[in-house]
Amino acid sequence: MTRILETLFFPGSFDVFIFFGTVIVKVLVIIGVGMLHVAYATYFERKVIGHMQMRLGPMRVGPHGLLQPFADGIKLFFKEDIIPAEADKPVFFGAPVISLLGALSALAVIPFSENIAVSNINISLLFVFAASALGAYGIIMAGWSSNSKYSFLGGLRSASQIISYEVAMGLSLVGVMMLAGSLNLVEIVKAQERYPLGAFLFPQIIGFFIFIVSAIAETNRAPFDLPEAESELVAGYFVEYSGIRFALFFLAEYMGMIVMSSIATICFLGGWNGPFRIPYIPFAWFALKVYCILFLYYWVRASLPRYRYDHLMGVGWKVLIPLALVNIVITGIVKMLL
Amino acid sequence: MTFKELVKTVFLLEIFKGMALTLRTMFRRPVTIQYPTQKKPVMPGFRGLHALTRDPPQTGDARCVGCGLCAAICPSRCIHIYTADSEEHKKIVERYEIDVLRCLFCGLCVEACPYAAILLTEHYEYSGYTREEFYMTKEKLLKNYDLYMGAEKSMAYFSKFWHPLRGDFGTPKKQVVFKGRKEE
Repeated sequence: MTRILETLFFPGSFDVFIFFGTVIVKVLVIIGVGMLHVAYATYFERKVIGHMQMRLGPMRVGPHGLLQPFADGIKLFFKEDIIPAEADKPVFFGAPVISLLGALSALAVIPFSENIAVSNINISLLFVFAASALGAYGIIMAGWSSNSKYSFLGGLRSASQIISYEVAMGLSLVGVMMLAGSLNLVEIVKAQERYPLGAFLFPQIIGFFIFIVSAIAETNRAPFDLPEAESELVAGYFVEYSGIRFALFFLAEYMGMIVMSSIATICFLGGWNGPFRIPYIPFAWFALKVYCILFLYYWVRASLPRYRYDHLMGVGWKVLIPLALVNIVITGIVKMLL
Repeated sequence: MTFKELVKTVFLLEIFKGMALTLRTMFRRPVTIQYPTQKKPVMPGFRGLHALTRDPPQTGDARCVGCGLCAAICPSRCIHIYTADSEEHKKIVERYEIDVLRCLFCGLCVEACPYAAILLTEHYEYSGYTREEFYMTKEKLLKNYDLYMGAEKSMAYFSKFWHPLRGDFGTPKKQVVFKGRKEE
């Protein structure tokens, strides 16, 4: 703060402006690239699931439907913004923004390569957890303020699901923290370099499994997509949303998926390290691993039916959390002995 | 729980089996036909939009004589025929109308017609904004014939799907009848 004041009152030192300028440019670039990835994640999903069901997926807009995400975006942007008469307006307007905010702010601390990150803070893993849990507020607010039974049920389901799976997810990463000895994502990647394949995948295979399952549940994806179960709740918490507000929820969901895939890549798959160096593109391996995990998301969605709600809770509390605790104990013992 | 079942549950074997299936399916050929550009071939005997056969060698007009058999057999009563007396006291078909929106495309009118005058073309891509567009008059039905059938196609069509062409319009000989068959 003193530095800002100094700069304002004693012009001549432009360090602060340069600092803020670079941060803003970095943020804009990362949001832009992230949004582009979200757009093509939807395209990729429709193509993958289409082919898994012996269909083609989008084919009409551009060659092989490559411009479909833009057509969808333009359509959503120009659609009528319908607000239910009985809705709680300020909360209704705030919900999609908070939802997206959580997903986007998690993106700020993810290192795409050793030096490519908006900020490299020492508690980045905790920050990602905090930010991605913030998305639950958006969902609950959307469910409550819409004043509709479907969105309300969707919001309730989502809240309890995210809270229960957040625990399992946090515990699954404790093993990683113990092995790396740090919460800094860059340090975690560096710690993996001396393990087989340059990844925590084999020492932490149980943790990886728990993480993937709870990441799918955390982002409300099939087979744990109960908050937006189409066959029961129409669309869940965003039934009453339309146009650009709906698009914000959509962006938040896919951004959440990308963030979760990035965390899985950084914590279990060795981040930007690969079997050989790819020149000029430091984040090539990182991107490839993220795409593989996104593909896993779609693959699971195309293969598995939706869980029953009590089963979902049962898996979360009775299987994943004890398993994560066992994983922590085993990791601790092994680390002590070696 | 046996050991085998335990292994199955713990390692999620069933789920991986299912996922292997979807992965294999992903590399198979999709069954999609990209409709407006690619079309499924129309099967012979397809029952599409109606047409009245034009009779070029003689008049160029419809072959229909206005006997009303098609209207009589039509289960949804969507064929309306109005006949009149001409000046030479010949029966002429004044109006021949089909309400396509009521038709159920059974093809009984084609089988009933003794003169091969009505047929169902292979055309199925018709759409419109009003009901009137689907109320077919005689002129429209003749135009349908010119557009979607033609003389050559209609010959093939009738030889396959129009049974009275056998030239025997009476009761089949094998059929049991109470009155007995009238012999010519």
